[in-house]
Amino acid sequence: MGDSQYSFSLTTFSPSGKLVQIEHALMAVGSGQTSLGIKAANGVVIATEKKLPSILVDETSVQKIQLMTTNIGVVYSGMGPDSRVLVRKSRKQAQQYYRLYKEPIPVTQLVRETAAVMQEFTQSGGVRPFGVSLLVAGYDDNGPQLFQVDPSGSYFSWKASAMGKNVSNAKTFLEKRYTDDMELDDAVHTAILTLKEGYFL
Amino acid sequence: MVKTSINAPTKGGFNFDLCQRNEMLLKKGMQLPTFRKTGTTIVGIVFQDGVILGADTRATEGPIVADKNCEKIHYMAPNIYCCGAGTAADTEAVTDMVSSQLQLHCYATGRESRVVTALTLLKSHLFSYQGHVSAALVLGGVDISGPHLHTVYPHGSTDTLPFATMGSGSLAAMAVFESKFREGLTKDEGIQLLCEAICSGIFNDLGSGSNVDVCIITKGHTEYLRNHQLPNPRTYVSSRGYNFVKGHTEVLSTKITPLKSKAEAALVDAMEE
Repeated sequence: MGDSQYSFSLTTFSPSGKLVQIEHALMAVGSGQTSLGIKAANGVVIATEKKLPSILVDETSVQKIQLMTTNIGVVYSGMGPDSRVLVRKSRKQAQQYYRLYKEPIPVTQLVRETAAVMQEFTQSGGVRPFGVSLLVAGYDDNGPQLFQVDPSGSYFSWKASAMGKNVSNAKTFLEKRYTDDMELDDAVHTAILTLKEGYFL
Repeated sequence: MVKTSINAPTKGGFNFDLCQRNEMLLKKGMQLPTFRKTGTTIVGIVFQDGVILGADTRATEGPIVADKNCEKIHYMAPNIYCCGAGTAADTEAVTDMVSSQLQLHCYATGRESRVVTALTLLKSHLFSYQGHVSAALVLGGVDISGPHLHTVYPHGSTDTLPFATMGSGSLAAMAVFESKFREGLTKDEGIQLLCEAICSGIFNDLGSGSNVDVCIITKGHTEYLRNHQLPNPRTYVSSRGYNFVKGHTEVLSTKITPLKSKAEAALVDAMEE
């Protein structure tokens, strides 16, 4: 890449105005396992393929989808260990919010705080950005919500989204299949079909 | 500024820097401000299927009843509850904090919380504050290893017992338990014994009163019976209210002072922007 002389230091902008490390982090995400999320009328579904490196791995010990609170869950694409750190921090932040306001943390607040952590690691010395994108699914007073959080710390609300390998095919498939008044069962079915599309790639 | 992801040891515990100054002030004759203790009767028993916790509902500030129907049985986890005696703020804060820590632990382990975990978190916190956090607790719950009942004292010591009482009404309640408790009580017998103990505290101790709260914890199920018994209902002398008819009160003297207007309206310019 033409900007290679600027890719050694994270905290330096390249002449084209990019932070090259974040671009690299997104590449790490793009080569991770496919994960997707669909927002239905009465809930949200997130799904991913649990591809294990060998049949000898104990599959019960691997948890790709995790709970952050009783009503917010998360799936990732990219580096598993990085997602563990984020989930742990988010769980703690959710508890701190509850201790302060005696209210279960709204999904937008938790996403905002998780994104703030990810951004912090793009502007500090001696650390690297997280190599994961997260899909946060939650249900609170504002209904079902689905958010994607990127290594740069930016977050987007989606009706349906996919990340990781085969993302363009998955997104095209979702665009065709998505309807605003989808029921949760339909959403689950669509999610599985979308994952199957990229199964043999 | 720069935050790395190392977990630095937290600066906790009590700051003893001002103790020398306090001693000097005491020698000069200054009084330390006293803090308010709330009288209470809190109890717990182990019965054949699990644990039952009970508490009265009076919160006092010295000789005055501050809250006639407060909640002394605090939630720690779906299978663990904790009754608190002592300073109300301390019991609330410490149980909330440990409840939060238990929840995080639950997520990390993927398992149901254990009573001994709650116990250890509470006692280590209280010990590090050397008794200045005035919380005396009765902790009970049912986990994978069975039903458990513990008492926690403000300095951080704990007991494991089949029946326990704490608070100013503990002697009255313990008297009931010592004479009537036996192993292997059924749920109804347990609730009855427990209510008797709390009522003993309510009627014989000034610091306890009002109603009885009960919480029954069994394997896989918890029942929180708020105000299970109301032995002190409010009685009104007259349901019609009081009616003061003119002429029933003797008038000794009358003085009428007309109110004079002191304000003078003056025409002023509007405030400059």
